[in-house]
Amino acid sequence: MSSSNESIGAVPNLTDLGEKVQMPLQRFLSDYRESSVAVVSVFVVLSIAIIAVFAPWLAPTDPYDLAIVTVADKTLAPGVVMSSGQTAYLGTDGSGRDLLSGIIYGLRISLGVGIGSGVIALTIGVFVGLIAAYFGGRIDSLIMRLVDIQLSFPAILIALVLLVTLGKGVDKTLIALIVVQWAYYARTVRGSALVERGREYIEAAHCLALSKRRILMNHLFPNVVAPIIVVGTMQTAHAIALEATLSFLGLGMEQTEPSLGSLIANGFDYIHSGHYWITIFPGVALLVTIVSINLVGDRLRDVLNPRLQR
Amino acid sequence: MTVFIIRRLMQAGVVVLLMSFLVFSGVFLVGDPVDILISDEADEEDRERAIAGLGLDKPFHMQYLLFLRGALRGDLGESFIFEEPALLLIVERMPATMELALFALLIAVVIGIPLGMLAGFRPESITAKTIMSGSILGFSLPSFWVGIMMMVLFAVHLGWLPSTGRGPTSEWFGIEVSFTSWKGISYLLMPAINLSLFKLALVIRLARAGTREVVHQDYIKFARAKGLSGRRIVLVHVLKNILIPVVTVLGLEFGGLVAFSIVTETVFAWPGMGKLLIDSIGMLDRPVIVAYLMIIVFLFVIINLVVDILYSILDPRVRLGEIRS
Repeated sequence: MSSSNESIGAVPNLTDLGEKVQMPLQRFLSDYRESSVAVVSVFVVLSIAIIAVFAPWLAPTDPYDLAIVTVADKTLAPGVVMSSGQTAYLGTDGSGRDLLSGIIYGLRISLGVGIGSGVIALTIGVFVGLIAAYFGGRIDSLIMRLVDIQLSFPAILIALVLLVTLGKGVDKTLIALIVVQWAYYARTVRGSALVERGREYIEAAHCLALSKRRILMNHLFPNVVAPIIVVGTMQTAHAIALEATLSFLGLGMEQTEPSLGSLIANGFDYIHSGHYWITIFPGVALLVTIVSINLVGDRLRDVLNPRLQR
Repeated sequence: MTVFIIRRLMQAGVVVLLMSFLVFSGVFLVGDPVDILISDEADEEDRERAIAGLGLDKPFHMQYLLFLRGALRGDLGESFIFEEPALLLIVERMPATMELALFALLIAVVIGIPLGMLAGFRPESITAKTIMSGSILGFSLPSFWVGIMMMVLFAVHLGWLPSTGRGPTSEWFGIEVSFTSWKGISYLLMPAINLSLFKLALVIRLARAGTREVVHQDYIKFARAKGLSGRRIVLVHVLKNILIPVVTVLGLEFGGLVAFSIVTETVFAWPGMGKLLIDSIGMLDRPVIVAYLMIIVFLFVIINLVVDILYSILDPRVRLGEIRS
């Protein structure tokens, strides 16, 4: 971050800079607003994020509190009052947990793992991709060969191998999702950075004898941010879906920390006995989360892709 | 050409060897199968004999080398649970998975191409927009979730289709298949549709993009000018030309279908390789896990190799570029 201060110091007129920075943002916002579906999706994503962050305050009960949860309440239908006196608006699951609370806490874990793994994978991928594009040659071909080999296998297979090895748990799932995702970012960043590297401003930076680190971070990186944002949004939705799938297969989360996928898996045992809500409601929560993030990503791609603009 | 193929073969060999090491050492770290396999009542002597019998007393590198030696002879170890060769267990279940994957591919093509063409001819129409929104759903929804919803709706609620299992099978050229009877098809239908959804979305996109490109070509204009019927233009001139990318991508994606059948088979209790893998993971049946993963890795490497070689035959620039670098 200290390096960004240097560059601002080098610009003589700060007000000019302020205008230049705001203009694209305003244009971006007005472009984005043209699609009402996308605007609604943003609000849905934000609400889900807020619910996830404030889960302990918003959930009617604490689904992990063994003092409240009793097996006597198991598989109650939606709207039935539990033995604690509270109404289970979405029913209860097979171990007597309030499903609404379970979903709210599950969202927290699903989103946390999805976004957390995305951010770390993005950091690694951006770093590796920039290095590959900037240095080229042997480093580039080594990194890209690795990326190609990894991407030739489906993400689920790689995650599966890792989780079989590492075992269950939040940290292990996080690692598996990071390993699966970094290659996508690396490839995206390298692709855009290769185009940017040939531009005059990079040559100009070289002529000023700026350090490699400064050229990479202050000149190359800001110009590849747009595609990273798009890929990042889509990848987050993928990561959430993948985590849910792995937990459904019994490989992701521990049962003590159920994500949406684990909740759906638990409910799956009950669909033949008519207790449909245990699997449907967490499923709806997962669906809304993934689809709304994807819709936002889709719109971002349309707005940020210069080829489609005007 | 030969140089290119040899290089690619060597590269494929290295990938397989590398993956074998990763898979084997990875699975080696997983829990201790001895605790599960040997009863608590067994005394120390029985225990040690059993451990030696499974080959678990040797150091890691010896176990790996023995595994490699066996693998080269087509022996991927013996299942701890079933006490049968792991390879045999997987091969026994392969027809079920292949049938599922091929049917899914068929569904994706037969439904996806017409829908994609429809969306491509009138990209601004409501039908086209509905189809494209549907394909976004196909891409983004986790397939296990769709599978459960299908099961709740068609099997539990409406009772139209059986919910789990494979149904009756019959011999067909020595392979057990289930599509020869209506009952068998009723079991196959839901898992196959579920598995196909992702590829269906992909085929729709490819067919749409292809159609949008092809309809503006001169040969289509010429065909219209010649007075050919719309039907003939669509079925012969457009269809033929959009098939090339569709076939290429589907060839590449077949391995993905086999891998994804792990999820579908678990949802619908379809007795294929994927379900065997998940069951084996649950029972810490190491040899089966390793054997399954090695077979899948092998499958992927072969598919990629064939595609690379075909590309280099079709487009010499690919191999020339590689040799130069």
